[in-house]
This record gives sequence, structure tokens and C-alpha cells, in this order.
Amino acid sequence: MSDAWIYGEQGGELTSRLLAELGFSPHRVAANGTLRPPEGDNRAPALAVVLASGLERPSCAELCARLAADDALGEVPVIVALGCGGLADGIGVAEGHELLVEPFSAEELQARIARARRTVNGIDHDDVVRVGSLEMNLATYQVAIDGRPVDFTYMEYELLKFLVTHPRRVFSREALLNRVWGYDYYGGARTVDVHVRRVRAKLGSEHASRIKTVRSVGYRWEGT
Amino acid sequence: MSGHREFVLRTVEERGVKFIRLWFVDVLGLLKSFSIPVSELESALEEGVGLDGSSLEGASRLREHDVIAHPDPRTFQLLPWRPDSIVGRMFCDVRQPDGEPFGGDSRLVLRRVLEQAAALGYTMQVGCELEFFLFEALGSNGAVPATLDDGAYFDLTPQDVGSDFRRRTIEYVEQMGIPVKASHHEVAPSQHEIQLAHTDALSMADAVTTFRIAVKEAAHELGAYATFMPKPLEAHPGSGMHLHISLFEGERNAFHASDAEQPLSAAGRAFLAGVLAHVCELTAVTNQWINSYRRLGTGFEAPGTVSWTRRGAAALVRVPSRRPGRAGGTRFELRSPDPSCNPYLALALILAAGLRGIERGYELQVESLDDAAEGPRLPLDLREATDLFDASELARETLGDRLCDVFVANKRRELEDERRTVTEFDRSRYLRLL
Repeated sequence: MSDAWIYGEQGGELTSRLLAELGFSPHRVAANGTLRPPEGDNRAPALAVVLASGLERPSCAELCARLAADDALGEVPVIVALGCGGLADGIGVAEGHELLVEPFSAEELQARIARARRTVNGIDHDDVVRVGSLEMNLATYQVAIDGRPVDFTYMEYELLKFLVTHPRRVFSREALLNRVWGYDYYGGARTVDVHVRRVRAKLGSEHASRIKTVRSVGYRWEGT
Repeated sequence: MSGHREFVLRTVEERGVKFIRLWFVDVLGLLKSFSIPVSELESALEEGVGLDGSSLEGASRLREHDVIAHPDPRTFQLLPWRPDSIVGRMFCDVRQPDGEPFGGDSRLVLRRVLEQAAALGYTMQVGCELEFFLFEALGSNGAVPATLDDGAYFDLTPQDVGSDFRRRTIEYVEQMGIPVKASHHEVAPSQHEIQLAHTDALSMADAVTTFRIAVKEAAHELGAYATFMPKPLEAHPGSGMHLHISLFEGERNAFHASDAEQPLSAAGRAFLAGVLAHVCELTAVTNQWINSYRRLGTGFEAPGTVSWTRRGAAALVRVPSRRPGRAGGTRFELRSPDPSCNPYLALALILAAGLRGIERGYELQVESLDDAAEGPRLPLDLREATDLFDASELARETLGDRLCDVFVANKRRELEDERRTVTEFDRSRYLRLL
């Protein structure tokens, strides 16, 4: 289940409930300026929702800026939810990747999430990423090439997903370790090389070369 | 961890998996497996599965007691050799019912040492060359197995089943996420070698365990039999498991020496000194069978003394010559272990010995410059190795008293069984003479 982190107090319970209905695992983050929920591992969530009304310290704009600047959270789609009538005062309107105004339904939330994800990751709302004959279904964790299933381990899958959903950007081994592995792992940065090699082998000749090695920097995915 | 579980559950559903095999190893590294139906998978991932902890204790069981096997969803794989029904597997961590680590679990022992290394900023990378024999299907117990070919080192033998077999094995292990670096025919007839590309130590121990079953499955499908027995044929070389070991600090190889005159960095030399200082105590684990000592120190380049070299081929440790621009590849090759060891305990002990060398600033002995290496000799037989292991403070600190005691009890029992056995040697040597 994907985590969704909720910042701010007003409307938090309703938002939690709607996110749970959509299959997310919601976590409330204290409104005291921290960026992470108290429990759970440090893996970046699939989504962040900022409830703008009543946010003061930090302000909605400060919070969104800090999310965007955070090493691990910079790529998380952020939805700003304004209170009823919140459009009038203009606070938060320019922040995040998508905007919502209360009252909103689960359907609207779902549509906004899909739009925010597409903005950040370039993924369609049906959660299927296609690159030539390669197809990744992010909802079922299945990968197929020419319609034939290819079996990946969980970490191979997560690495491929991260690269595919962040095309054309170079990531260092350390950055990939932090953002894909994210938990205590004894493999070190060489683990990334080992996994890249395995993923390339499973991708086969047509797609293996899409994972570019950027000499003495890291790796980059070519093609969307 | 929820992502891992979800991945396993969805994959099982999408791929129509019927059964999941839960794997763990006993104190001797022998693979144990039990199957659960898919309907039990979710609760197995949440709560683990109860089993009798004495099943981890080898032939010498102390008493029954409950432990819980927790499948590690990061190790989930579909088994490639069961095309008729799709079967998944996961390695398990074995814990006490209260969630505390179970001292008899080899995997947890290795994890613990890896944590100690991580606390010092180090991660261990291991590459592995595994040798083994492929025989015709076995005859009666004790009979000399029939070889399948008369090939020799690097021979390409198109007419034999060996090439098919190696190709099939490599496909299996690569499908299971174990990258193969190379494979070739070894020195002895029917002997093969497959090199596994370097990875972190826990993944390598899992890989060796997986590799051994994959090789046996591939052989079985071709009507042959694969064995990792260290020395099946008297007149030919035995099978070793050469370990290529390096330490990394982040992305930097901590063994790489900037001074081209030095074989390894200061940390690398101290680590190697630690391994050499303790290797005799650890030999009971790296070479854990009576048969292991028919390989060690009996020629065919199998090491017999504690020595290291940059040139020779028969020393215990070889430090490969440096290649320009390949600082990341700096490593040493430990040549004593054989492929029938418990890879979790072997790697845990080698790492612990090396870390001790670094922490206590051990000095590396001088390089041996010829193959007839001077130096302390490795244990001559399992009895000597077991005595050294039993008395080793490093082994007890690394593995814990419980695991050491169970291991030693197993070895003493094996030695006692052998002592009572009248062998072919006895009859051929004494029957007519006496």
C-alpha cells in the first residue's frame, strides 16, 4: 500500500478517510515544522497533501518549498487543499503540483492525484507506463516486454520503476540508494551497480541500453 | 516493509503462483524448505510460520523448541525449474516466538556481523568461484561415480552434456537474480566452474545456497548428478569455492592502495592480516567435512599453509595484480573454502576476522614468493580444525556460544562415526598384510 502524508490540521480526518478509500495508507504529519511522520521508515511517500487552511508556521508556501528542496521528498507529488472559500485569499494557490478546494469528493481527489503524478512523474493515471514494447503496471507490480511477463525481485522492480518514472535525470548511486532502498541496507553503493546489471540483463537487448551509465556520476533512464 | 509484502502478494496473484517455498539453512548450511499454499502467504508474511528450532541444528539436535520463520519478502523469486507449476520461494529469518533473534540462525549471524561492519562505515563485497562435479546418475552408495567427459581446463567439449548443463544452470541462476560472470570446464574430468559476480555478503550467501540447488536441479533434468563434495575423485583436483573479498566505504574501495608498491591499502593489509591470523580457527567452518581435508594441502593447487602472494597460484590468499583505472576491483582471493560450507557462517567469520585485524592494527606477514609456501600450516584434518574452532574466542564472539556448541557437536559426531567406519583403505592396506 502506498503511503500518503498529510500536513496540516483542518480537514485532516476527512482527507485521511478519503485517501484510505483510494487505497493509500495515510499518515498525519505534526504541524510543528517537521517533514516526516513520527512512525514508519523513511521511504518517501507516494503522495503529500498539504491542508492550507490554518497553516501558519510554517506557511503553506514555506512547507511546499521545503518539500521540494528535500533530498528524499523532492519528487513527491504535492496536492494543496484549500478550505472552503480559500481561493479568495489566494494563499497556497500557486503551491504544489495540484490544487483542490473543499468540499471535495474521493473521485475528485483521485483525479487530482493522477494529475499531480503525471506532472511529476509523467505517468498516466491508469498507472501503466509504456516505453516501446516495455510495459510496467505500477498497480500490480508486473513488468512485461512484448506482452510476456518478466520477473523482477522487489528491489529490481523498485529501481526500474524509479528510473522509468524519472526519465532523463542523472542519479548518483547514493541518491538511488537513499530513494529506492531507503532503509538500512548493508550492501552499500555497489548494490546499485549490481541491481542495474541484473535489471539490464532482464530487460534484454531492446531496453537494456535505456539505462545509461553516466561515468563517475551515476545512472540515467533514456526514453519515456 | 509494506511495499515488499504488497509486491509479493500482487505478484503471486498476477502470476498464478500456487505454492511458496520457505527456505532456511541449518547450522551446516544445508538447505531446508517447507511449502505453504498461497492462502497462507499473507499471514506468513505478517506473523511468520512456526517450526521446530532443532531442525536448524543438523544431525546433532539438542531438543525441540519452537521458533518462528519470518519470510524475507526481499528474497522473493519464482523458481525457474518448475515450469509446470509456478512456485515462489523466500528465504526466512528465524526468530524466537517473542521476536528476539534465534541464536541458531546462520542468516541472522551474518546480518549481525554486517551491522558491525556498517557501524564502522564498511560494507563487504564478495565474488565467488564455485567448482563442482557433474557425474552420471549415481549408482549404489559409496561407488566411485562415473565421469561424463575427459575434458580439461577451459576445454570446449561440444559432444558432452556439460555445455548444455552449464548453459541451463546459468539461465536458472540468472533468472533468480544471480549474475554469472563466467563459466568453464575445470581441470578434472566432469568438473565445472561457475563464477558469480560480486555482490553484498548476505546476497552472496543467499546466492550460493540458491546456486547449489539450481545446479542440482539442472543436472537432474539432464539425467546427471551434480555434487559439491570437496574431493570426490582421489586422482583429480577437488572442488573449491574461492572468495573474492573487498570492503567498501560508500563508493570507495577501502582496499585500494594509492601507493602502487603496496598490494592493498593500510586497512586492506590489516584486514587480510586478521583473516590470516584467524584462518586456522575458522577452517572448521570454511572446510567443514572430513572429506574437505582430502582436498586441502594435497596438491592440485589447494592451499595447505597460511600464506599470501601476488604471483603464485597455490597460496592461501592471492592478491590479484592491479589493473590501471580499476581501483574499484581491488580485492583479495581466499582460496581455502570449499563449496559445501555454510556460506553465511563462513562469510560472517571471515568478515569478523578481518574487522578485528583493522580494529587491532594487525601487521600483514611477508609475501610468499614461491609456491612451496613457508608458513603455519592449515589444520590437517577435521579433528584438528574442530579443536581449534572450539577454542576460538573469535568464533564464539561472532557466532555465539549456542551456535558454536551445536556446530562442534555435529562435527564431533561426524568424527566419531568415521572413527568407527572400516573403509576401503583399511581393507586394501591391511587385509592381506596382517
